[in-house]
Amino acid sequence: MNPTDIIRAIQENIARVIKGKPQVIEMSLVALLARGHLLLEDVPGVGKTTLAHSLAKSLDCSFKRIQFTSDLLPSDIVGVSIFNRQKQAFEFMPGPIFANIVLADEINRTTPKTQSSLLEAMSEAQISFDNKTYPLNQPFMVIATQNPAEYHGTFPLPESQLDRFLMRLRIGYPSPEEEKKVLDRPQSLHPAEELRPLLATHDVLLLQEQVDRVLMEESITDYLLAIVQHTRQSDLLSLGVSTRGALALSRAAKALSLVRGRTYCLPDDIKELAPIVLSHRIMVARTQGLHQRNFEQAERIIQDLVDSIPVPV
Amino acid sequence: MPFDQALRFASIWLASTSFIGLTLGAGLPEWLAVLTGAALIIALLRNAGGKSVGQLATHTLMSTTGWNLLVIVGFLGFWVDMLWVSGELLPAGVHFLMILMIIKLFNLKLRRDYLHLYAISLVAILASGSLTTDLWYLPIFLLYLFVGVWTLLLFQLTKHPEEPRILTMSVAMRPQPLASVSQVTPQFFWLANGLALATFGLTLVIFFTIPRVGAGFYQKGFGENIRTSGFSETVNLGEIGPIKRDPSVVMRVELSDGPPQEAGRLYLRGVAFDQYDGKAWTNRLNYRRAVSEDAVGTFVLRSSRSFATPRLGDTIRQNILLEPLDTPVLFAAPLVERVSGKFPSVQSDLTGSVYLPFPSSSRIEYSALSRSNPVLPEDLSAEPSVYPESVIRHFLQIPSQPERIAVLAKEITHTQRTIYDKATAIHSFLTHNFRYSLDAPLTEQDQPLEEFLFTRKTGYCEHYATAMVIMLRTIGIPARLVTGFLATEWNEYGNYYVVRQQDAHAWVEVHLPHSGWITMDPTPPSIESIGSESPAWHALGRMLDTIRLQWGRFFVQYSAADQLAVVRELKAGSTSARNKAVDSISTLFSPFMAMFGGMAGYASKGMIQSLAEVLVPTLIGLAVLLWLGIRRPWVKGMISKKTTRDEQVIMQLYGRMIGHLARKGIAKLTAMPPLEFVRLTQEQWSNAGSAVASITDLYCRARFGQIPPTREELALAEDHLRNLMTLEKP
Repeated sequence: MNPTDIIRAIQENIARVIKGKPQVIEMSLVALLARGHLLLEDVPGVGKTTLAHSLAKSLDCSFKRIQFTSDLLPSDIVGVSIFNRQKQAFEFMPGPIFANIVLADEINRTTPKTQSSLLEAMSEAQISFDNKTYPLNQPFMVIATQNPAEYHGTFPLPESQLDRFLMRLRIGYPSPEEEKKVLDRPQSLHPAEELRPLLATHDVLLLQEQVDRVLMEESITDYLLAIVQHTRQSDLLSLGVSTRGALALSRAAKALSLVRGRTYCLPDDIKELAPIVLSHRIMVARTQGLHQRNFEQAERIIQDLVDSIPVPV
Repeated sequence: MPFDQALRFASIWLASTSFIGLTLGAGLPEWLAVLTGAALIIALLRNAGGKSVGQLATHTLMSTTGWNLLVIVGFLGFWVDMLWVSGELLPAGVHFLMILMIIKLFNLKLRRDYLHLYAISLVAILASGSLTTDLWYLPIFLLYLFVGVWTLLLFQLTKHPEEPRILTMSVAMRPQPLASVSQVTPQFFWLANGLALATFGLTLVIFFTIPRVGAGFYQKGFGENIRTSGFSETVNLGEIGPIKRDPSVVMRVELSDGPPQEAGRLYLRGVAFDQYDGKAWTNRLNYRRAVSEDAVGTFVLRSSRSFATPRLGDTIRQNILLEPLDTPVLFAAPLVERVSGKFPSVQSDLTGSVYLPFPSSSRIEYSALSRSNPVLPEDLSAEPSVYPESVIRHFLQIPSQPERIAVLAKEITHTQRTIYDKATAIHSFLTHNFRYSLDAPLTEQDQPLEEFLFTRKTGYCEHYATAMVIMLRTIGIPARLVTGFLATEWNEYGNYYVVRQQDAHAWVEVHLPHSGWITMDPTPPSIESIGSESPAWHALGRMLDTIRLQWGRFFVQYSAADQLAVVRELKAGSTSARNKAVDSISTLFSPFMAMFGGMAGYASKGMIQSLAEVLVPTLIGLAVLLWLGIRRPWVKGMISKKTTRDEQVIMQLYGRMIGHLARKGIAKLTAMPPLEFVRLTQEQWSNAGSAVASITDLYCRARFGQIPPTREELALAEDHLRNLMTLEKP
């Protein structure tokens, strides 16, 4: 089975649970293959957790869920040292971060201290505890969710941490027809439980390697850099896209090409990914009279920007 | 290392190389050499990052005006130097050059300054070249060439980034490609070295081909003549001894008939003496006559036909490279029959010694044919014999020596009957009972010979030889003393003998009634001369000497005649190579030729030969071009960058499709990527959708995926486009 067929099978698998959102499923796969992390931002109850769960289920990956609350401590994520009476020594008990896919639910509800304990895990794929480093499982992917409506009692994520997410997605409400299908489903069972794994963890790593081999022609790289440059020069933005952001866009574009069954990138990939990969990495200028973290606003600015930059022919 | 730093390094090295050349060649005054050396070291340190040293040197010393003043002072000093101190233009100029170099080294700021430094170092290396012909100049010059190529390359490469660039919007947005190139990469390193080697190869070719002009000037300062002793009209006893420790090379003797026989010794005869006054030898037979010239440059001293005897000795052919000596004597193995060389005339005296009209001031090369007299059987029998009058008159002279010597000679020889046996007896007496030593300063004695024979029993070659001659003469056998060199140092790398000053020797020639003059050497082999150096060191020395010889022969004294010889050899070589190539090609072509039947017979060899003559160089040229094409990375880049014909076709098709759709009202905006445009088309004109999608797919693959379309796909795409043209938009 070639990579394209496998990826399509996974998409169909997840689509049995998440109804009517093929794009969201596709992008979450892109994030997985690009070795990135996903930030899902939406109102409660539209299937963020279910998406993460069904992705893990289809991949034969270990899955852990951490519910972020204001009294959550870093050790609740990373793990703790417990005194072992028999051995007369402290023993490290790995926390929930030691899984392939970690769902960080409502990440902006917890304190910055706890949020930042995720930082090292997300960028280095390892955990330092008691002067020791513990490598995390591979593949490793954090799917964080946050609720935009509730500003009360939340700690907005710092820029440094936002930059570490490959992309930010919104799921949105399903259409009435799709919603009806969800309601018609038997309620006794969690929908993700009936999914069967299609891909071993080892195969996920192979697919991730395939992403590196996708060809990005020079003119497309130039196009990507032009977009990045424009965000830095735009008057509408007070903070442009970092080099990490450019790198993320490049990796995501390659992964999207693979997901779509191509061995090369197209300008379309860049243009399509730019809003969801770049919008959480920028800051909208105050002169715009809007809240700085208004993601919808940021997405619209990026979209306008991309619509004005000539694509390579 | 970044280019500009590498350039600074290379420039300073270039200056250092020329400085070393000048120091070795011109013998700079010590204070100037130390000053320049210090300046170079400071410049190097400054470049290596020792900022404090450099700052100290530049900022605390003086301002620009100060430096300029120094230049003026230096220039005045140059005139003073030229007019009063050294009195010559060249040394004064060299001193001024060094001062200029020091000043420039502290003022390397602009690119112009670097150019000045290069000019100074070029003049310096040229000056040192005109001041010397020694071997060490070769490595220095090679180094200079090497560093020079590097420097110029770096100078050119650093030129571009310094020039002002107009930053346009589009340029500013792209990453600067220069940043990745302006480093000395391994590729660049080898490219530069290859270039330097190629330059050197080219220089060699030019050196061997262009006519020699100004050879006189360069050979002017060839060096002083070597002072020799023992080859003048009179030789004091003990005169040769002191030079026995002088290792300077006097000549090199190549033997055309391979390595020597006789335990690796070769006697090189110089001058013979007939009169001994108790302290010194004198040649009374010193009337020189011109030797008749057989062919141009070949002088015959005695023809082998003139001998009545049927048996002749073996001939020795020698090719001798004689360093400039203070004597006009031409050395050769005894006894010389003919000498050939580039001499206008050659003289000889009655003892068979060969002379030039005057001592040569440069190294000369000549060849000699020698044939020693064998001892004939008649002389081995006891028959009494009579000597010719001339021999008796000249070679039986005895000084007023005490009777003890004559008594001793009779004592030794009274049991022997023949002249030859008597001579042999004295020879073996001297060889066995006396000790060879260099520590015997006997010149002050009144009777050095008696002292040697009866008191010290220690001496060197002259004592032995004198003793033997005098003893022979007291018993009525004509004999004479011969001085020359005894060559023992065989150089196996160049197949020649190295003869040094310390090889100076004296031996005896005894006249036998029938055989003539034969050589006898009563000196026992020296214990001290047995090598104390390690063999490996010896071998290295011999190898170096070979290189030095070739250097002198092929570079310093390379002449127009040698050029001709090289050209002739090359021509002969290329002719034989061409003949071989023609042969192999004719065998290759013979079946085709046979097919042409009569025509082939008609054209035959001549045509094939001319064909081959054209074909071979063409093939070689093509191979070189191909090789260059494959090797050069930028050509490779161009090939991969260039689009193939099929790719161009699909791009044209796509362009036509875009144009057609635009006329139909579906315009592709510049910010619209290809697939988005396909969706737009499908929305607005569903009929055209599939055709547009398939053409776009091919285009994207070729343009962004670098997968060229196949012919079938192209044909299909053309069909699609034709259909699209005929479709009517609703």
